[in-house]
Amino acid sequence: MRRLLAILASVITIVVGIITIGDLTIGLPFSNGAVAAVFLRLAVITLAFLIMAGVLNLLIVHIGRIAGRERGFPYSIILLISAFAVVGLWLAGRTDINTILLNSVQVAIESSLAALVLFALVYGAYRLLHRRLSWAGGLFILTVCIMLVTALPLTEIGALTDVRNWLMTVPVSAGAHGILLGIALATIVTGVRILVGQDRSYRE
Amino acid sequence: METTLAYLTIAIVLAALLINTIATQIARARRDSIVLRNIRAYAAMPQYIGESLETDRPVHFSFGSLTPGGVAAPLTLANAETFTLLATRTTYGTNTPLLTTSEVATLPIGYDILRRAYRTQGRLNQFQIGAVQWYPDGARSLAFAAALTAAMADRRTGANILLGGFGSELALILDAATRRGQRAIAASDQLDGQAIAYAMSDELLVGEEMFVGGAYLGGRAAQTGAVVSLDTLRVLLILTLGFLALDQLLQGALLAQLARMLNVGGGG
Repeated sequence: MRRLLAILASVITIVVGIITIGDLTIGLPFSNGAVAAVFLRLAVITLAFLIMAGVLNLLIVHIGRIAGRERGFPYSIILLISAFAVVGLWLAGRTDINTILLNSVQVAIESSLAALVLFALVYGAYRLLHRRLSWAGGLFILTVCIMLVTALPLTEIGALTDVRNWLMTVPVSAGAHGILLGIALATIVTGVRILVGQDRSYRE
Repeated sequence: METTLAYLTIAIVLAALLINTIATQIARARRDSIVLRNIRAYAAMPQYIGESLETDRPVHFSFGSLTPGGVAAPLTLANAETFTLLATRTTYGTNTPLLTTSEVATLPIGYDILRRAYRTQGRLNQFQIGAVQWYPDGARSLAFAAALTAAMADRRTGANILLGGFGSELALILDAATRRGQRAIAASDQLDGQAIAYAMSDELLVGEEMFVGGAYLGGRAAQTGAVVSLDTLRVLLILTLGFLALDQLLQGALLAQLARMLNVGGGG
C-alpha cells in the first residue's frame, strides 16, 4: 500500500510539475496560464491553512514543557499567557492594547537584539582569526575593518571611502552574483530531479 | 512570459534534464570511479553527531525561514534530504533531535523528516511530537533567533546544523552556540546570513554546496548524478560568461560572427 501511495505521489508531482512549467512558460493551448494559476493558488491556500498547524504545534510544545517541568518552563507559561492574551484582546476588539504591547515590548526587544548583532559579528571575526588563519580569513577581516572605518562620518578618510565604493561595486557584487548563480543552478538541477521523480523526499 | 525568455527557460530546463539523465546513468555505471571533491562540512557533520551521541546531547537541525512554497522549494527539499540522512544517525541516541523552523509551511516536512528517520531504524515509538518546533519570526527574524538560542540552551544541544534561510540574526545564534561550547555548521541562501556563517560557523558551506548533502551523506547514484550535473552546468555557465565577456571586449564581434554562421547554416 505504501509503495502504491509513493508511486501515486510521484505521478501527481511529475504531471503537475510538467503542466505548471509548460503553462507558465509557453502557455498550454487548452489553458494559456489558467491551469498553472489554479495550481499556484491551491498551493497558497494550503500553506495558509498550515498556520493552524503552527499554532497547534506551539501549544503542544509549550504545554509539554510545562507538564514535564522542563528547563525554562516558566518562559513557556509566559508565552502561552501572552498568546492567549493577544487572542483574547483581539476577540474583545481591543486591538489598540495589542498595538501598544507590540510597539513597547516586541519592537523594543527586537531592537536591542539587533544592536547585539554587531557585537556578535565583531566577536565572530575575532574568532575567525584564531580558528582559521588563512589569506581568505585575513582578507575578510581587512574588509570588515575598512567597512566599519568608512562608516564613520569623518572627512579625513575620503580615500578609504573610494576603496569601500570600489569594494561594493566590483568584488562584493561579483562574489554575490557568483553565489546567487550557484544557488540558481542547483535550484534548476534539484527542480529537474523532482520533475523526473528522482527526489525521494515526498514519496516515502 | 516573453516568447524568447519562455523558450530560453524551456531550453535551460531541457538541457538540465538531459545532463542530469546522462550524469545519473554514468554515476550508476561507474559508481566507484566518481570521486566527489572534499567538502569539510559534510565530513564533519557525522563526526559532530557522533560526539553529541557520546555526550548524550541532542542534535539541532534548523531550516530557518525556508518554505516549500516559492523559489526556495528545491532548497527546502534538498535540505530535508540532508536532515533525514543525518537524523537517521541520531536515532541511536536517547535524545530526540530538535528540528526548528520559522515558517509554518515547513512544519509537515520537519515532522516527516524525524518520523522517517525513526521509522527507518524501527524505533518509531521513540519519536516525540514536540521535537519539531515552530517559532514565528516576526518582522526581522530576531524573535526567531532569540527563541532558538533559548531552545538550544534548554535542550543543551551538542551540535547545531543550520541550513536554510537565515539573515544577520544568525550571528546571535552562532554566538550563543560558541559561548556554550556547542558545535555549529551554518549556511544560508541569503547573502548577509552566508557572510556571517563564513565568519562564525565551525565548518563552511557556500551557496550550491547546500544542495548536495544527499550525495555526500547518502551516496545513491541519483544523488551523485545530481552533483555531476551541477558541476557540468557550472562549467557550461563559466564558458558562456567567458564567451560573453570576450564578446564585450571585442565589441560584439563574436556574437555577430555566431549569428552570421547560424544564418548561413539556416539558409543552407
